[in-house]
Amino acid sequence: MSLRFNRRSLMRGLLGGAGVCVGLPALDTFLNGNGTAYAEGAKLPTRFGTYFWGLGLTDTPTGGTRWVPKTTGAGYEITPELASLKSVKDKVSVFSGFRVIGDGRPNLVHWSGHASILTGIAPAGSTKFDGPTFDTKIADAIGGGTRFKVLDVDASVSRKPVSYSTRTGNSFATSETTPLALYERIFGEGFQDPNSDNWKPDPSIMLRQSVLSAITEQRQSLMANVGKADQVKLDQYFTSLREMENQLAIGLQKPEKCEACVVPPPPKEPHRSASVDVVNANTKAMAKMLAMAMACNQTKVFNFVHTAGSSETYIAGDSKIYHQITHDEPTDAKLGYQPMTSKIAGMVMQAFGDFLVEMDAIKEGDGTLLDHSLIMGFSDTGYAKIHAIENIPMFLAGGANGKHKAGQHIAAKGESVTRISLTAQQLVGAPVGEFGAGGMKTSRPITEVMA
Amino acid sequence: MRYSTGTAIAAFVLAAAFPAAASAEWTKTWVVEWNEPAMYYGAKSGVIDPGTDCPKGTNPDIDWVQIMVNAGYTREEATWLRNPANPTRSPVHGQNQMAFRGKDRANVYINPTSTPDPGLTPVSGTTGEGVDLDGNTKNGFTGLGGEKGIDNNFYRTLGCWKTYRGPQRLSSGALQFNDAMRNGSWTTVIVATGKGADPMNDKDVKVGFYMSADKIVKDGNGGVALDYTFRIKPDAKYEALYTARTQNGVIASTAPSDVMLRDPSYSQDLDLLRARISLKMKPDGSLQGYVGGYRAWAPVYKGWVDARGPVIEALTWVQLPGVYYALQRNADFSPTGPAGEKTHISYAMRVDALPAFVMTPDGGKQVTEIASYKASAPPPSKPSATTFTVIDGLVPDRNAKVQAGPTAIILPPTVAPTSAGQ
Repeated sequence: MSLRFNRRSLMRGLLGGAGVCVGLPALDTFLNGNGTAYAEGAKLPTRFGTYFWGLGLTDTPTGGTRWVPKTTGAGYEITPELASLKSVKDKVSVFSGFRVIGDGRPNLVHWSGHASILTGIAPAGSTKFDGPTFDTKIADAIGGGTRFKVLDVDASVSRKPVSYSTRTGNSFATSETTPLALYERIFGEGFQDPNSDNWKPDPSIMLRQSVLSAITEQRQSLMANVGKADQVKLDQYFTSLREMENQLAIGLQKPEKCEACVVPPPPKEPHRSASVDVVNANTKAMAKMLAMAMACNQTKVFNFVHTAGSSETYIAGDSKIYHQITHDEPTDAKLGYQPMTSKIAGMVMQAFGDFLVEMDAIKEGDGTLLDHSLIMGFSDTGYAKIHAIENIPMFLAGGANGKHKAGQHIAAKGESVTRISLTAQQLVGAPVGEFGAGGMKTSRPITEVMA
Repeated sequence: MRYSTGTAIAAFVLAAAFPAAASAEWTKTWVVEWNEPAMYYGAKSGVIDPGTDCPKGTNPDIDWVQIMVNAGYTREEATWLRNPANPTRSPVHGQNQMAFRGKDRANVYINPTSTPDPGLTPVSGTTGEGVDLDGNTKNGFTGLGGEKGIDNNFYRTLGCWKTYRGPQRLSSGALQFNDAMRNGSWTTVIVATGKGADPMNDKDVKVGFYMSADKIVKDGNGGVALDYTFRIKPDAKYEALYTARTQNGVIASTAPSDVMLRDPSYSQDLDLLRARISLKMKPDGSLQGYVGGYRAWAPVYKGWVDARGPVIEALTWVQLPGVYYALQRNADFSPTGPAGEKTHISYAMRVDALPAFVMTPDGGKQVTEIASYKASAPPPSKPSATTFTVIDGLVPDRNAKVQAGPTAIILPPTVAPTSAGQ
């Protein structure tokens, strides 16, 4: 028997004189027999996230490294500072030898690296970026249809919240900075369990929508009685209202059931400290929630900060912070690298590995959440001792719904970091043909990792 | 203001020394791809190991808790100040209270004599790099080639300090600043011309160091690319002209010059009196050697203070007052004569340069003569703005509830029993 409704069908009605739309009641048939797509053919959504940590990984001034695999292509070997990626190695591509090309702009320490990766432009000043970050373009392209177009998360316990996501270059997104705050944001007010049998539209949202609709209905008469400049202002105003209405409307739709969605219990607030053990615990807890937020279809895009460019993390009990150690620790003559720096870099990378494992632990359809996601991991610097913006460690993790030929090491010789940024955008389906400016402008994605 | 007067005088002197000359018989041009203080490293391996220069190795890390206790803080306070979890310790700008360890808790960065000389172990070896500035072969170091009389008291004074010590191109300071230069922060080009037939042996040579606005270009391996083209950018401040000769490919000054170069350091200005060069033209076309001269030592100290005293002290394992005392102690030149105050110290910079094309400022032709471009330069620009303001060696945290200072209460009420406010 053929169904009269598909998953996009809405029931329409009136509330307080304003129209509302309500999604279909619960339907059991969401996925096709193979688990690769919804029954009517729509693919499981591709999610995208950025994962940032400060202070790079350990290189040496004589060209040695603690993180770059010797082999290139598929089957790269696990190096000491990539140990945490071992269990997900085949789902992670490693990129080495890429750099920021500043076209004469100074290297603004702990700023130029990630600003260039995210915007494609070497920044002129170290308080703002010179363009929007590309995650916002991806959010525009794939982030619709969920409660949160993007979620910004900061696990660093820094003195000030950290975010590197911006639409203007001047103001940055507001991050959730504790596991509890993130939990409340995702699963608190406004969250509708997609698997609940008792779902009903949130009356407060309905009320808010009806109020907004009433305002919208007056638009034409108002517009007719104001000058051109005010018309432009009103138009901008009503446009933003419409976007808000659209977002609210999602709360009126019966969400799709998500087999992987299990609402976790609220976390306890950890001890507030920037020590690496606390930051890593934060990362793990927040990764679980973020993973569930995506599994529950609350968002498709996120930005995650483990530690800021000028990282404040340290090993509890030490008098030196990691940042200071990267600068003041001499290279050990016998080992050929900075041992303490490398040790802490490994601890910092453990968080990235744990983050990916959490994503990979969520079974979804024929694979895992990680298989249906693309996560770009990156830092602000290469050899942190001198604030190098060459050989900045970058990773693409996850299968991007079959688009990413993961598990490779791509070694470049001084090519622009923007090639990886462009690759990430294209892998998740953002309509972007080129990225960056000046010496970092590129229309060449890294095709070796594209299926 | 001193610079404007000095610049005007220098321009007059240079105009006399470098009149508009007919094109030379030969011209060679380079771009500086590395420059660093000439600090001979006497160890066989590593970057801090004991060596003939510093038998105990690089000056060691410092117990800052003890330093603060010695300055009158309680151990509890000193330990608190060094704890990364302390909210008044900025991960970027350090612990500002570190400054206030002089007499009556004076700021030792701007008042270094408010604390006794903590000492700074100098170089004790006899080998050094640079040039003979005073013509006296009985003083100074012995050069790498056995030459006597190498004057480099800067090296003698600071050569065991971690920021300067290390094999060529591997000291942390050299790495940091050269990386910035190679990423486009500044470009220095070198032009040499001669009137003789043999560039390798010519008695009439002139050399110019100029700035270029064209950025250094890197090749695919991350090294500086050869044979790129750079236009001279007239600079009112940074320019160095020398009269010289060549012998077996070594360009050596025949007379001292007063010059100003772009320094690979926080202070940026390398103002050298009685400067001399010793640069070898190598068979592969590159240029390697030294620029020596006497530099004022007070700006060197101030440069380190302005780079944020507590950050520099913690990162480079030094007590800045010790640097002040040591530079003062080893200064060896007075511009006003032998009896004058020794405000300058002998110094040498090691220079590596690669073949490049150097053009006139308008880019119209290759440079074929050495001349001063200062007259056509715009006024010196202000140093590029930083994102933080350094006051007396510190970056005040305007949002902090507790400010560092002589009367700061160190321990928070929950930690402090009765000793708070000492």
